[in-house]
Amino acid sequence: MSTVAPTRADLLRHRVGRVSLSVLRPFAVFVPVFLLGTFFTFLLGHLSGRSPAYIQLGDAATPEAVAAVQHQWGLDRPFLVQYLDWLGKIARGDLGESWFNGHSVAAVLLDRAVITLSVAGVALVISVVAGLALGALAARFHATWLDRAVTGFATAISVLPPFIVGIALVAVFAVGLGVLPAAGYVPIQVGFGAWLAHLILPALALSLDTVADVARQTRTGLVSADRENYVTGAVVRGLGPRRIFFVHVLRNAIGPALAVLGVRFPVLLGGAVITESIFGLSGYGVFASQSAVRGDVPSVQGVLVVSVVVVVVFNLVVNIVLNRLSPAAARGV
Amino acid sequence: MLRTLLRLTSARIALAVLLAIAVITVFGPLLAPYDPLQGSDLTLAPPSAQHWLGTDYTGRDVLSRILAGAPLSIVSTLEVAGIALVLGAIPGILSVYLGSLFEWVSLRLIDTLVALPFLVFAVAMTALLGNGITQAMIAVGLLVAPWFYRVSRAATLTVARSQYVEAALLSGASTGWVVRRHVWAKVLPPIAITLATTLGVGLVVISSLTFLGIGVQPPTPTWGGILASDLDYLAQKPFAPVFPAALILVTVLAFNLLADAIRDAAGQSGRVLVGAKAARANRARRLAT
Repeated sequence: MSTVAPTRADLLRHRVGRVSLSVLRPFAVFVPVFLLGTFFTFLLGHLSGRSPAYIQLGDAATPEAVAAVQHQWGLDRPFLVQYLDWLGKIARGDLGESWFNGHSVAAVLLDRAVITLSVAGVALVISVVAGLALGALAARFHATWLDRAVTGFATAISVLPPFIVGIALVAVFAVGLGVLPAAGYVPIQVGFGAWLAHLILPALALSLDTVADVARQTRTGLVSADRENYVTGAVVRGLGPRRIFFVHVLRNAIGPALAVLGVRFPVLLGGAVITESIFGLSGYGVFASQSAVRGDVPSVQGVLVVSVVVVVVFNLVVNIVLNRLSPAAARGV
Repeated sequence: MLRTLLRLTSARIALAVLLAIAVITVFGPLLAPYDPLQGSDLTLAPPSAQHWLGTDYTGRDVLSRILAGAPLSIVSTLEVAGIALVLGAIPGILSVYLGSLFEWVSLRLIDTLVALPFLVFAVAMTALLGNGITQAMIAVGLLVAPWFYRVSRAATLTVARSQYVEAALLSGASTGWVVRRHVWAKVLPPIAITLATTLGVGLVVISSLTFLGIGVQPPTPTWGGILASDLDYLAQKPFAPVFPAALILVTVLAFNLLADAIRDAAGQSGRVLVGAKAARANRARRLAT
């Protein structure tokens, strides 16, 4: 076997290949996810056997009238043609019209998404801040009573279902103490305080699970990163404890916690159905369940498509952040 | 492994609680002192000798409604876990053996299922496919299946690459024989752990759906439905949600405790744990004599 020294062109090609791989790999996973997700969604609507005809004409409609309405909505075409047509419309940002009242689904969702994304966003902030703080606390006082208390607390809150926590929060803070509003939503333009006051309880109910997960991952990551040789090396080189923590330990330990956020995000978004109904917010979760019960297929499909897109985009962002933080992850090591 | 499991205190507590829940599930509707659907003039009454847990907004006995709602809540939880087990674990094990095409396709399918916002999808599926509890269970089972898939696939991968399996294959064993003889034993403990966890999550999801009124018709008593009606009358009866919530929580906790106990009993740590207990008992006995 002869060894040939790699030329500069070889090295360059290798590096370009590596970078494009790290950018493209997430897409290779997420494009099929998006296509399959939308296909599921469309198949679901098709299988439901619902039709705008019955919603508009009632149960006593004649077969001819039903067929006319079916034709008007393009529902008499082959399944795959309908799917591709629908996919093309989605690409142009058109989610169709509600069978129930003919409103544009995209416009309705845009209105409501602000509320849902506000709750999910506040829940995400709570998860990151509280989770990192608890995890760092447990790792700093590793193997002491404080560590055990934090770990036990994380276990306890992770088994609490969001709808029970939500009811308890309403009972204590809104009905019992009367310090926070029990229901409703105030736009942020009215005032940041009022906005946050209406969001903090639902966000809290939604985030407990994720707080526990982030705390656990942070703790494990910090404890194992602390044992690495490069940390000892940094101590020997005489670097300050704060610099060691932020530059050497945290950066390497944060990966699993961030990955958990990516996995948890669909749950935060999906939990909206429950929290919005408890706290009387008219976000897209309530819209989804109302439309589903009414048999309004385009609206339900619209909600599902939007949530799949939001989840996919969020996961792409998490991946990019992970790659920035630790170069090893970008190489797929 | 079962014997080790029964020697752990946490497993005994979990099993005792689950046994009690099972009794409620089987005999609950018979034990109910009142008709769970029959209202009375005594609305929103506090707990008393006649109505141990009080009455709800149409004067129905809360205890009777909780007992009557037990079969629906618990049985559908069991079915969710069963559906997820079959849909997840079998493809998970097979994905290692059935070639790269099946592997790639099943992995993408699982990625997709995980990325779907869980509750929104469950609500949509249930309602669109004809608002019924069976549809709800199939929807939730399908969405939970990825956990079983990943766990059983990971466990199978470790076994499939171990040297004793290679040795067995080299000496002419068939894939089916290897799966039955070597893979099962290694894959069962992680699946059992996931099953216990899934039962807990399944109960929460089914309660969430019935809380929203998805999958059931209004007068039918369910634990989630009782919570939903309590929420509307929180101002009059602030402590009403405590009973159904506590029941759901205790059941979920018992399932989680069981999962932890299986995890302990299955691994090396389980033997150490039980061994340490036996050693302590021995030492105490020797000191006593």
